[in-house]
Amino acid sequence: MELFLMVACLALFGMAVTCLAFSAATRHEETRQPEVAEQKPAPAPVRTRFFADEVVAPAALQYQVPLEVLLLQIESHVRLEQAAAESFLESPASASLHSRTTSPLVH
Amino acid sequence: MTNGEPDLLKGLATEEIEGALALGVGLTIASGTELFHLGDTADRIFILQRGRIRLTLPIHVRGRVEEIFVEESTAGQTVGWSALMPPYRFTLTATALVDTHVIALSREALREYFARYPGVGYVVSLNLAAVIGQRLQLFQAMWLREMQRTIELRCA
Repeated sequence: MELFLMVACLALFGMAVTCLAFSAATRHEETRQPEVAEQKPAPAPVRTRFFADEVVAPAALQYQVPLEVLLLQIESHVRLEQAAAESFLESPASASLHSRTTSPLVH
Repeated sequence: MTNGEPDLLKGLATEEIEGALALGVGLTIASGTELFHLGDTADRIFILQRGRIRLTLPIHVRGRVEEIFVEESTAGQTVGWSALMPPYRFTLTATALVDTHVIALSREALREYFARYPGVGYVVSLNLAAVIGQRLQLFQAMWLREMQRTIELRCA
């Protein structure tokens, strides 16, 4: 009887140790998984094809230049183009007609 | 008399120029004031005696209508020749850049003068054709340059 109880206790103790070891091992694996997940690069946001996306980007860009500056650039562009056109009319040639401009509106 | 021979009256004798200018009325336009506006009835042309006139056209920029520079006229040049051609409506807006003095010549007064002096009318018509022709060629060249750039952008 004593022997039976001793074997039963040892068996219970062994099972408890096994359970603890197993739970510790599985907990360790579970905690590792998020680390792996964190290392993955975040997926790029899916680009929608809604028209609003296409509108937002140019609107953000167009206000990079203040309106007053833009109007001055337009005036400068017109003056440069007139000068180029006058130059062409003085000596008409294909090269002078299509000469490059320094206008900021073009570059 | 204007400072220099007005482009519209080139080739006329001094007394003919004085006779034509005598038909007009002198006006002083304060800096920043409109001389005429796009779409207005055009019944007078203006010879600049002194100052500068800025000619503009409206364009939409960022949802607003802005007057965009088209051309600048100085002493001796004529603005508002829509007054001599149907439908007698100004096709640009003219604004004084500085205090500017002009001689305003009414269409009716010029017609009567040209009927009386056909030789003067002929010379003025040739001058007018030269100014309009030059403007046409200028804007034709500018338009072609823009077309060229558009083509380059499309084919890039």
